[in-house]
Amino acid sequence: MRKNFLAAITAALMAVFITWLPAPAESVSWTAIRGARIVPVNGPVIEKGTVLIRNGVIAAVGPQVDVPASAWVIDGNGLTVYPGLIDALSTWGLPQAAQAPAQTAGRGAQQPPQLPQQQQPQQPQAQQPQARSRGPQDRPGTFTWVKAADQVQPSDSRLASARNAGFTSAVTFPRQGIVAGHGAIINLGGKTAGEMVVLPEAGLYLALRPSGYTGFPSTPMGIMAYFRQLWLDADHYRQALALYAADPVNIPRPAHDRALEGLMGVKRVLLPAPDPIQMERMVKLAADLKTPAVLYGVVRGYEMAERLRATGTPVILNVRWPAREPGADPEQEESYRELRIRDLAPTSPAALSAAGVKWAVSSDGLETPRAVLRALKQSIDRGLRREDALRALTLSAAEIYGVADRLGSIQPGKAANLVVATGDLFDDSTRVRMVFIDGVRYLPEPELPQPPAGASGRGPSSERGEDQ
Amino acid sequence: MRAIHRILPVMLAAAAWGGENDSFLLRNATVHPVSGPAIQNASVLVIDGRIAEVGPKVAPRGRIRVIDARGLHVYPGLIDSGSPVGLAEIASVRETVDTGEIGDFNPQLRALIAVNPSSEHIPVVRANGITTVLVTPGTTGGTRGASTAGLIAGQASLMHLDGWTWEEMEIRRSAAMQMTWPVIQTGRGGPPDLESLLPGLAARRVTFAEARRNQQLQVQKIQDFFDAARRYQKAKAAGEAIAPDLRYEAMIPVLEGKLPLMIMAAREREIREALDFAAREQVKIVLAGVRRPGKTIDDIAKRNIPVVLGTPFVTPLEEDDPYDEPFTLAAQLHKAGVKFCFASFNVQFARNLPYEAAQAAAFGLPYDEALKSVTLNAAEIWGVAGDYGSIDKGKYADLIVTDGDPLEIRTQVKMMFIKGVPVDLESRHTRLYKRYMARP
Repeated sequence: MRKNFLAAITAALMAVFITWLPAPAESVSWTAIRGARIVPVNGPVIEKGTVLIRNGVIAAVGPQVDVPASAWVIDGNGLTVYPGLIDALSTWGLPQAAQAPAQTAGRGAQQPPQLPQQQQPQQPQAQQPQARSRGPQDRPGTFTWVKAADQVQPSDSRLASARNAGFTSAVTFPRQGIVAGHGAIINLGGKTAGEMVVLPEAGLYLALRPSGYTGFPSTPMGIMAYFRQLWLDADHYRQALALYAADPVNIPRPAHDRALEGLMGVKRVLLPAPDPIQMERMVKLAADLKTPAVLYGVVRGYEMAERLRATGTPVILNVRWPAREPGADPEQEESYRELRIRDLAPTSPAALSAAGVKWAVSSDGLETPRAVLRALKQSIDRGLRREDALRALTLSAAEIYGVADRLGSIQPGKAANLVVATGDLFDDSTRVRMVFIDGVRYLPEPELPQPPAGASGRGPSSERGEDQ
Repeated sequence: MRAIHRILPVMLAAAAWGGENDSFLLRNATVHPVSGPAIQNASVLVIDGRIAEVGPKVAPRGRIRVIDARGLHVYPGLIDSGSPVGLAEIASVRETVDTGEIGDFNPQLRALIAVNPSSEHIPVVRANGITTVLVTPGTTGGTRGASTAGLIAGQASLMHLDGWTWEEMEIRRSAAMQMTWPVIQTGRGGPPDLESLLPGLAARRVTFAEARRNQQLQVQKIQDFFDAARRYQKAKAAGEAIAPDLRYEAMIPVLEGKLPLMIMAAREREIREALDFAAREQVKIVLAGVRRPGKTIDDIAKRNIPVVLGTPFVTPLEEDDPYDEPFTLAAQLHKAGVKFCFASFNVQFARNLPYEAAQAAAFGLPYDEALKSVTLNAAEIWGVAGDYGSIDKGKYADLIVTDGDPLEIRTQVKMMFIKGVPVDLESRHTRLYKRYMARP
């Protein structure tokens, strides 16, 4: 009797348990986009098909997909579904003041007096010019402990305009000094900063222009020597820590060094390479650092394709094509060299694709996210294939940062980051109807007026307010 | 070089022997008067420092020193139309550099009184035949305008490169008022810097609009200064009681059109503005440091404005300019009918002045004009052609005796006379030469 009673209690409890446990499973949210043209990027285009999303992850894609009755169905008739676009080198989602010093400080301390102080910087030490550094031991301009993932702000007004242009993810990097800190792969939507972060460590951003400090190093050769020393120091630090851990009694305790701590387990470094000479230097530097490199800021990519393919170095293309500065001196003669770079820079994407170099795209310096697509359209007009342009904005970026298992194409198992547009993305008349980020739908919303990009407020001002 | 050592003792002995140190007869030379064709086997008679006679047959007057210059050539002394020689000794030692006074307007400064007659550079500059220099008070380096030089740097003086004191060196204490026309400086120039194209890396540059505004402010300052000087001039002329001001006082000859403004202006835009300014203010000007006059050439020629050219041994201003752009400028000006002379705008390299003219001659400038550009033209531009610039009767005997064409780099200057007085051609260079030749 008592046994039965216990069994009954257990059964009852179990029943309670069972009814309680699967409760979340029952609230599975399904979303389906039906009857749309689907461009999965990793496979052939599906002229009329369905994308099924389950809890923010793509569950199925194809011409025929069984859609559960509880699914929220979106009629995709006449619409095209793309994977969400990725800005491979960005500052979206980060406090904008953080990038101001890097943009404005030139050699030495040429801080313009009108530097806008919009926000209190989160890293005060990153803002103040440090005391004069005398050598590598002072760790000049080094911010390896800074992580973009810690600074992400869902309130960044640029996120909405990025989504309006079809961007759902960005690889966002802090910008200061010469070792700027760790980038993060973020989704451009989410209620909290934590929700936005896809991968907290995307790579370490290195620059070759000293800014925000005075003293050593102030030349490219000094900076490159400093990078080498930093990596050697990190290696030594690692060994010293290991020895100390093995024998804390006899081995002296190594001094804690946050700059070196930040170098442990760096997956890749981002190095600037505007032209072929710098590219050679950077490829060699990365080999010395024994760290894979991704080159950014590439301007003369049209001359670099063969060598990049041979070294297997991926590239983040700057698609702010060089142009005559608005308001430039009307009597200033432009050199043939300058005009040539200006003419050929937009052919870089086609050259890189033709050579088989992996490349992605950065919105850096462009006033609006939509300008990225327009810049690529220029390249398409100069011989770039549309599918290559799309791949650079999606799967290639995911591959470069090692997140192709989660982002970059419309494939079951990947995050439901999608763009639903009225036509081909690179056509001017095309409008983005909605984007999905982790399965959550975002509709285009009127944008807030943008603060001037960076602090300088210079650049193609005609593009400002394009999407408003 | 060795020849100098052979001839030097002769000259010194001659000097010791002669009664009057500034009278002599130079015989059997080829005389190049510059003002006319060369005369073979001719003589130059110098009495009391002035040229008394030039010709094939000249008889010595009284007991006078006779110098046989067989196989040698006689030219007038060369004139450098802009150099801070004597004002600057060692560029890196501030205490030895007297150019470039602080302040935008310093018309009251006179370059000559600051000249150090014992400067080591003076004999070096003389060695290549330069007897006369327009010594400039402002810094003249750079072709994009001297931002640190001030706008009106002071009075440039014409001086001889010999004398115990500056008074002895003086030809004309105030030969020109040195001025720099403000330049729109955007910090640009040179090849495009690709890294500056990268956002986030771009060093802040001055925009054209900002630079133009800065330049307009400077031009306004000049205008204000001239207006104030004119008020001073009028008040003084009217006999009103005014506080004396050396700066405005120094401007009066400029405003009266007696003293030329030597305006440093390299490019078309500055030249155009300077020309307009001169026309508006009714002042006499000389353009200096001209590099790229562009369409203003015809205007310069039409208005008879002389030009002082700097060294052609520079790279072209613009990346795509032809390599010989600095070399052909003189020929271009000559073709348009512009009168010009050469200046070194340098201290120790002032000795290269003859080769500046030579380079222009190699690139289209008629040889005679090249020679004039470092002699007679310069004397005319600085208003001393009555006394200097050619070998003509009545002019001062500023002569060089050479073994060939002075524009030719291998030519040696054998003798030099300033106002008929022989000048020592030894310099730091010859001393070092001797010293190291004597090394065992």
